[in-house]
Amino acid sequence: MVEREPYRDRIELLQGTLDLLVLKALTWGAQHGYGITQAIRATSREALQVDTGSLYPALHRLEREGAIASEWKTSDNNQRVKVYRLTAAGRRKLTEERSRWDRLLEAMSLVLERSKAPSGTES
Amino acid sequence: MRLRLPFLSRGRRERELDEELAAHLAMATADRIARGESPEEAATSARRELGNEALVKESTRAQWGSGSLERLLQDARYGLRILRRSPGFTTVAVVTLALGIGANTAILSVVDAILLRPLAYADPDRLVVMLHKGRNPAAPGNFLDWRAQNHSFESTGAAELWSANLTGAGTPEKLTALKMTPEILPMLGVQPLMGRFFLPSEGEAGRDHVILLAHGLWKRRFGADPDVIGKSVMLNGEAYAVIGVMPPGFVFAPFWATESELWAPLDLRARAASRESASLRVFARLKKGVSLAAARQEMASITAALEREFPGTNRDVQVIALQEKVVGGVRPALLVLLGAVGLVLLIACTNVANMLLARSSARQKEIALRAALGASRGRTIRQLLTESLVLASAGGVAGLALGAWSVRVLVTLAPPFLPRLSDIRLDPRILVATFVLSLLTGVAFGLAPALQASSVHLQDALKDGGAAGSGRQAGRLRWVFVAAEVAIAIVLLVGAGLMMRSFVALRRIDPGFDPRGVVTMEVSVAGTRQAEIGRRPVLYREILERFAAVRGVRSAGAINHVPIAGDIWGWPYQIEGRPRPRPGESPTAAYRAVMPGYFATMRLPILRGRDVALTDTSDAPGVVLVNAFLAGRVWPHQDPIGKRIALDGPDDNPSWLTVIGVVKNAVQSNWAADPDDEVYLSLLQRRALMESPQPQEAYVTFVARTDWDPAALVPSLRAAVWGIDRTLPISEVHTMQEIVSSANGRARFQTLLLAAFAAASALLSAIGIYGVMSYAVSKRTREIGVRMALGADPADVLRLVVKQGMAVALAGAGAGLAAALLLTRLMSSLLYGVGPADPATYAGVAAMLLTIALCASYLPARRAAHLDPMKALRSE
Repeated sequence: MVEREPYRDRIELLQGTLDLLVLKALTWGAQHGYGITQAIRATSREALQVDTGSLYPALHRLEREGAIASEWKTSDNNQRVKVYRLTAAGRRKLTEERSRWDRLLEAMSLVLERSKAPSGTES
Repeated sequence: MRLRLPFLSRGRRERELDEELAAHLAMATADRIARGESPEEAATSARRELGNEALVKESTRAQWGSGSLERLLQDARYGLRILRRSPGFTTVAVVTLALGIGANTAILSVVDAILLRPLAYADPDRLVVMLHKGRNPAAPGNFLDWRAQNHSFESTGAAELWSANLTGAGTPEKLTALKMTPEILPMLGVQPLMGRFFLPSEGEAGRDHVILLAHGLWKRRFGADPDVIGKSVMLNGEAYAVIGVMPPGFVFAPFWATESELWAPLDLRARAASRESASLRVFARLKKGVSLAAARQEMASITAALEREFPGTNRDVQVIALQEKVVGGVRPALLVLLGAVGLVLLIACTNVANMLLARSSARQKEIALRAALGASRGRTIRQLLTESLVLASAGGVAGLALGAWSVRVLVTLAPPFLPRLSDIRLDPRILVATFVLSLLTGVAFGLAPALQASSVHLQDALKDGGAAGSGRQAGRLRWVFVAAEVAIAIVLLVGAGLMMRSFVALRRIDPGFDPRGVVTMEVSVAGTRQAEIGRRPVLYREILERFAAVRGVRSAGAINHVPIAGDIWGWPYQIEGRPRPRPGESPTAAYRAVMPGYFATMRLPILRGRDVALTDTSDAPGVVLVNAFLAGRVWPHQDPIGKRIALDGPDDNPSWLTVIGVVKNAVQSNWAADPDDEVYLSLLQRRALMESPQPQEAYVTFVARTDWDPAALVPSLRAAVWGIDRTLPISEVHTMQEIVSSANGRARFQTLLLAAFAAASALLSAIGIYGVMSYAVSKRTREIGVRMALGADPADVLRLVVKQGMAVALAGAGAGLAAALLLTRLMSSLLYGVGPADPATYAGVAAMLLTIALCASYLPARRAAHLDPMKALRSE
C-alpha cells in the first residue's frame, strides 16, 4: 500500500520491492523504522514514500525470518527507539533480491525496447 | 543478545509495538516541527501519514510467528468467554461429556487390562493349554504320551495343584502351591528375580525338594531376605531348599490356582502309567510357524490313537490358546459393557450436539452480525468449531478425572474372579485415545451446527429478529437426535433390566443350605505330627467337641470340600444289580466326605434316612448319603435307602456302600448350575482322608453355626484348634455368606455396572428431551401466543406441545425396542432365568422411558400453556 497524496509524483511500489529497499537501506547502517522511511525517501529524491502500514509488517516479518535483528536503543533526543540491523542471512537475502530485481529490470527493458514483434509469434 | 521475537510474551510484544509506533510518530512530528510546521499541524499530518494505527498494528501483528496458533488461542479465549456467559449450558454439556468419556476411559482400561494386554509372558500368543473338554485336567500317562508324540510344540509341560503347610517360625500357614514339570518356567520366557529355575533332573523323587518363592511370599514370610537362596524351609513336615525368587507381578497359572505362591518340581514317574487319576493341567508353547489349528489337528490324531488303545481316557482333549483360556469367560460380559459404554458416549455426544445446534440457532443473529461486519464463512466456522472444541476439551478433562476415579472404584468393587485384576490401571494410551475421542466428538458434533449456522442468509436472519430463523432442517435434525437418544436409552435400559432380572433370579436360587450364621475353617494336618496314622479320627472328633463347647456355637460339623469354595472331586460310580458300565463310561458323582453334624450345621435337610454317625468308622460297613437328584435318577420310583452303590468305577470286586439317607440338592461349585449327582460319605470311613500324608487329602473343613455374628466366633474357634495342637495350620476362614456372595459376585458386578450405565443414559436422554422440548417451546412462543389470542385454551396448548414431544419419544422407543431385540441376543450368555426377549422387561423399560419423556415434555408444555398471550406476541 502506497500513499500517493500529498506528493503527486510518487511511484507505487511493486510487490516484493519493499523488502529489497528495506534491506538495502540497512546496509547504510542500523536504523529505526522512521529512519528507514526517511532514508529511502531522501535517496529516491522523494519519489519513494514507504507507507508505515507496509513498513512495520515487513520489518517484523524480516525479523522473524532472521534477515534483520532488532535492539532497543535511546536516540539523541532521549527517545527509546527500536533499531534494526542487517544480519548475515539478511545480506544473503539482499544479494538474492538484488539479482532478482536486476533480472526483472533486464527482462522489462527487453520487452519495452522492442519495436517490432519477434519472429515466429506473428498472429 | 535479545530474545528472538517468537519467544516474547504476547503482552510484551504488544507493548513494544505500541512504543515503536509512538516513537515513529514522535520522530515524524519532531522532523516536521524542525521544517517549520506548527506543533499542532505537525502532529496532525504525522498522524495522517502514519495512517490507521489500529490497522498498522493489526497487519504487523499478523506477521508474528505462529499466527494460526495465536488466532486459535484468540478463538479459544472468545469461546471460553461465550461459554462462561451461559454457565447452565456449559455445565450440562461438560457434565454430559464427562459422563460419557469418564465411563469410557474406565471401562476401556478394564477391557484393555483384561482382554487386550497380553499375558506377562514372552510371546504369549504361542502359549496353549490342553484340557479335557477345555476345562478338566489330564492324567499323567496321557500327558507323557502327548509330550512324547507331538511335533507341534517346542516345549510341553504340566502343573498340578499342591498345598504346602509352611511350618517353623511364625504362624503355621497353608500356602497355595503348584508342582510343575521343569519345562514350564522356561516355556513362559520369564526370568527369576534371583536364583534359578528347576533343572530337568529335579523332576525326580529325591531331588525334587527345591522350591521357587513368589515375590510376595518372599517379602511376607522371609522379610525379603537377600540371602534366602539355599535356605531350608519346612513344608508339610519336609525340608525344601529355596532355589529362587520370582519377580513381583509374576502369576502362574493364570487361569487357575492364580494365588499360588510357591512352585516345586513335579515327579510323575511313580504315576507314569496312570490314565485314571487326572490332576494335570498341560501347558505348551507352539513351535514358531506352527498354527494353533495345525497343533489341534495333530493332537486330535494323537488322542484318537490313544483313545483306541485306552478307551475312555482321551476323549475331547482341547488345545486352547492360553490367553483365550484366561479371559474367555469374562469376554462376553466385558464386550457387553463396552457396548453399553459406547452407547452412553453416543447419547452424551448426541445431547451435546443437540445443545450446540440449539445454541447456534439461537445465535444466528450474532453470527449474521459477524458476517455483516465482514467475518468470512471460514472464520465463523472456525470460531464455532473452536467453541465446541473448548467444550469438548473441558468435557475431556472432567471425563479423565472421572475415569481415573472410576477405575479405582471398579478395582475395589470388582469381584476377585476377574482375571488379572492387579493389571488394571489407567493406561496413558487410553488417556490419549479418550482425549482424542473427546476432541473428535467436539469436531464432529460442532461441525454440523457450525456449517448450518454459517450458511445463514444474512437478511433473513437479521430481519427475522433471530427468532424463527432456525430453519426447518435444524428443527428436524434436533428431533431425530432426540429420537435416537430415546432409542439408545431403551437399548441400555433393556440390557440393564435383563441383567437385574437375572440377578434377582440368581439371588432366588436356593443353595439347598442356609448360609447365614455359618463360619468355615480349614484345618490341615499335612506335615504335622497329627498326620500320623490313627491320629486324625481322634483329632477331628476332638475339634468338633471343642467347637460345640464354644459359647455361641449351635452345632458343628466337618466336610472335606465345602460347597462353592471347596474343591470338587468327581468319582465314577456303579449301582449294585445293574450292568457294569464300560471303561470311561461310568457316571460320575461329586464326592464329599462328612463328619456327623455337617447337615444340621448347614441346615441342609436330610429328606429321608439318617446322618452319618461317629460309629460309621472303617470297622463298620460303608455308608453313603445321596442327593435327591441322584436318588430320583437312579431309583425313580423306589426307596433308595438300603440300596448299594460303589465308587470304584467298573471294578471287579467293588466295595459297596449302603445308602442310608437322601439329602436335598445343594449347589456344588457353580451357583447357577443345574443339580448333578452328588454323594456324601462318612469321612471316618475314608482311608485316604484319614491316613494319606498327601496334603490334598490331609485336611478337612470345619463348619460351625451360630445365632450370632459368625465372624465373631473365629477367634474362639482358632483358639479351640490351637488348644489341641499349636502347629496346625488354619486357613480359608470365611463366613458361608461370603462364600455365597463371591459365587454371585460376577453377576452382581455386571448388573451393577450395566445398571449404572443405563441410569446415566436415562438421565442423559431425559436432559436431552427436556432441553429440546423447552427450546422448541421457546421458539414457538409467538405461535402459541397467537393460538391463545385466537381462543385456544391452555389445555389445547398443553396437548399440542406434549403431543409433539411424545410423537418423537414413541418413534425413538419403537426403534429402541427393535434394536434391543437384536442386540440383547448378544448377551444371552450372561443371563439366567430370563430370555433376551423377556416381554416384561421390554414393556417396563418402554413405560419407564415414555414416562420420563412425558415429564420432560410436560414441564415446558406447562410453561407454554401459562403464557400471557400479550407477552408472547410481543416476544421476539
